[in-house]
Amino acid sequence: MSASHHDPLSHPEVQLASGRGYVANFLVTTLLMGFGLWLSVTHAVAPLTLVAVTSGIAAVAVGVQAYLLLHMNLSEAQIWHTVAMILFLPLFVVTIGLTAWMFHGLYARTMIMSPHIGAFLHR
Amino acid sequence: MGRLSLRQIPYQNPILVGTFVFALILGAAIVGLVTYHKRWGVLWREWLTTVDHKKIGVMYCLIGLVMLFRGFIDALMIRTQQAIAVGPHSPGYLGALHGYLTPFHAGQIFTAHGLIMVVFAATPLLVGLMNIIVPLQIGARDMAYPYLNALGLWLTAAGAALVMVSLFIGNFAHGGWYGFVPYFELPYSPGVGVDYWLWAFQLSVLGTTLGSINLIATIVKMRAPGMTWMRMPIFTWASLSANLIALTTFPVLMVCLALLASDRYFGTHFYTAGMGGNLMLYNDLFWVWGHPEVYFLILPAFGMMSEIVPTFSEKTLFGYATMVIASFAIGGVSWGVWLHHFFTMAAAPSVNSFYSVTTMLVGIPTGVKVFNWIFTMYRGRVRFELPMMWAVLSLFLLLVGGLTGMMNAFATNDYMWHNGVFVVAHFHLMVLLIAASIFGSVEYWFPKVFGFKLEARWGKAFFWCIVLGTGWVFIPMFLLGFAGMTRRLDYIPYTQWGPYLRVMLVGMGFYILAVAFFFMHLYVSLRDRAKNRVGADAWGTSRSLEWMTHSPVPAYNFAFVPQVHARDEWAWRKEQGVADLKSGPYRDIHMPGNTGVPFVLGALALALAFALTWRIWWLSGLALALCVAVVIVRAFAEDTDTVISAQDVERAERRYHDGEVVPMEEPMGRPTPRPAT
Ligand code: HEM
Ligand SMILES: [Cu+2]
Repeated sequence: MSASHHDPLSHPEVQLASGRGYVANFLVTTLLMGFGLWLSVTHAVAPLTLVAVTSGIAAVAVGVQAYLLLHMNLSEAQIWHTVAMILFLPLFVVTIGLTAWMFHGLYARTMIMSPHIGAFLHR
Repeated sequence: MGRLSLRQIPYQNPILVGTFVFALILGAAIVGLVTYHKRWGVLWREWLTTVDHKKIGVMYCLIGLVMLFRGFIDALMIRTQQAIAVGPHSPGYLGALHGYLTPFHAGQIFTAHGLIMVVFAATPLLVGLMNIIVPLQIGARDMAYPYLNALGLWLTAAGAALVMVSLFIGNFAHGGWYGFVPYFELPYSPGVGVDYWLWAFQLSVLGTTLGSINLIATIVKMRAPGMTWMRMPIFTWASLSANLIALTTFPVLMVCLALLASDRYFGTHFYTAGMGGNLMLYNDLFWVWGHPEVYFLILPAFGMMSEIVPTFSEKTLFGYATMVIASFAIGGVSWGVWLHHFFTMAAAPSVNSFYSVTTMLVGIPTGVKVFNWIFTMYRGRVRFELPMMWAVLSLFLLLVGGLTGMMNAFATNDYMWHNGVFVVAHFHLMVLLIAASIFGSVEYWFPKVFGFKLEARWGKAFFWCIVLGTGWVFIPMFLLGFAGMTRRLDYIPYTQWGPYLRVMLVGMGFYILAVAFFFMHLYVSLRDRAKNRVGADAWGTSRSLEWMTHSPVPAYNFAFVPQVHARDEWAWRKEQGVADLKSGPYRDIHMPGNTGVPFVLGALALALAFALTWRIWWLSGLALALCVAVVIVRAFAEDTDTVISAQDVERAERRYHDGEVVPMEEPMGRPTPRPAT
């Protein structure tokens, strides 16, 4: 409805675009995820450490993408990305939390192998 | 050709050959008709390449209806099989020991039935209706991302097509619509059936996720001036809540299925028994999506009821604010109840109790809604026209379905009847409620989209046959549930269940009649359309913004973007006597331009999914590369919009005022003249 309607290049989110940022984002996140994959296929660290380390890597990757790819900030044009991200956090915590709570009781009650034992057998 | 060979064509199966012949005749008839009437050009220019939200919505609904029909045939086969194959002395036909379906075939049918009805019938119908109505209700000219909208449509179409292809090439999964691990892992299900299921599901997930982004962005950003949050029609609110659920949970399903695909294709072991895999993780991830999904389906249905009931009670909706809160409360609670689908998996008692309680909490906002509808009708001038009849039926189905849901919510009860037909009867009433609301809103909004009302005689016959069919099928099913019958049986070991199963066939008879009456309903309505022409306000007592513009809605929706003054804007304008006011001279209208790219991408996605199913690697690579190339090429397109000139708008508006019918597919607008740079 504003003037920017007719000139796509003046849209604020288009103004934020940066080829260098995108390439950097691609390289960094690919490296991070590749590292996580390598850790898990080679069983380089103990299972519980692995969970912690890969989660940490994932968090860093999310941060990098939020900054370099989505350009999250509080400006009028970008605030929806930021709000969506923040609204999503409690959901994430609830889903993972409730799942972990269930598995916590489940291993004791079923014959399923805990990730511990499974990983050791595989090695 | 990967695993594909001529031996995969099931020509020994007379049922499938019959279906194939039927499909062939139908396809030939359609191609013939289009050619005879020289409509290929129109079909391509005005439908297949359109980005108009109304046409996309209509096409979504058509896909939904076709798949509803297919799913119904599946249901018919399950019911007849179970009525015949009772006891060791029951006859067997067509190579089956009992009944006429081998266990393998019966399994494919109930799996396809479930998947089709949930993701390829109900979902497209609802998404289609939201697509058509939401932009009109908020006074927008189109969706926020028209191109993405078309892409969502064609991805969904590709998914539906893949399920259909599995009928004639190879076979479908046969272990139930939501899948089981490790049963769906490669060593236990080595065939292509699970792969068909997997990729069809995945395509629909992608399409629905894109659609939800679009609807959310549209509602948040595209509202007409004055359309504040608390003036939004309830259907729009319900759509917002539903699509927030979709956006937050469909990606979980995508991951869940991707991990299964990774197990099947790369030999990883996310869900294997042993080797560090965890088969219970599949259930967890699937239902993290699965339960919110059912609310994704029911919230728009609630929204539809909330539009229909006030119109035919000639009153404003009772308890608007509580209705909004209830929609979001249902959405919110839906994220925390998923474990009730596997109470019997042996989680700790504290965990099961927690989920029992959260599940029952859903009853509170749902109850609020029910009372709101009842109080809307109370002391209203209730007119039982077709949309209202469907809405009232929905209300009854909600009561029975909701109460039986509450019974399931007690983990202690559920231990006794989980995976029994009691559960099946519960969710069928819920899903039938959704279907009833959909039929109600098709009756309700049809005149808006096409400019004429559907006739009432056959429509009523259709309605009553659905009522009778539902009673005759599902009351016996509840009784069998109490008797302990488990679900998905292709052979009934207890002969005392036989009578109930045969009684259900009476219900199926009513459903068959209903389908016939539905076609008559459409045919007679189409034949007599001149008689049933209506203007903008088809029902005379409607209240929201979509009834302000012409019927059928012009390509640009509103000649002037409306200024909104009240919650029920259209009712407000009628009361103030300003319903006919026009503001100022017409202006050029800037609209998105048609493009064939989404259609091409849909076709390529179908090729990719088919190739992955059959493990034809060169074709997978080719289709994927082409997808990427097409997206890149499209990114450089400059002519992506058109302008409908002020004169064109004026001419169209004059024709509407003269009572002329402007057909939906009449072209309007021309490419924007390239701005001088
Ligand atoms: C008051 C609300 C509801 C409650 C308390 C409720 C409760 C439940 C419970 C506890 C189950 C699991 C039973 C079992 O597997 O043993 C279940 C299954 C199911 N419900 Fe509901 N439900 C409610 C509303 C709905 C709605 C609105 C829908 C659909 C639109 C729905 C569709 C389903 C489906 C599809 C299943 C079974 C899925 C399957 O196993 O294939 N329910 N419900
Ligand atoms: Cu559920």
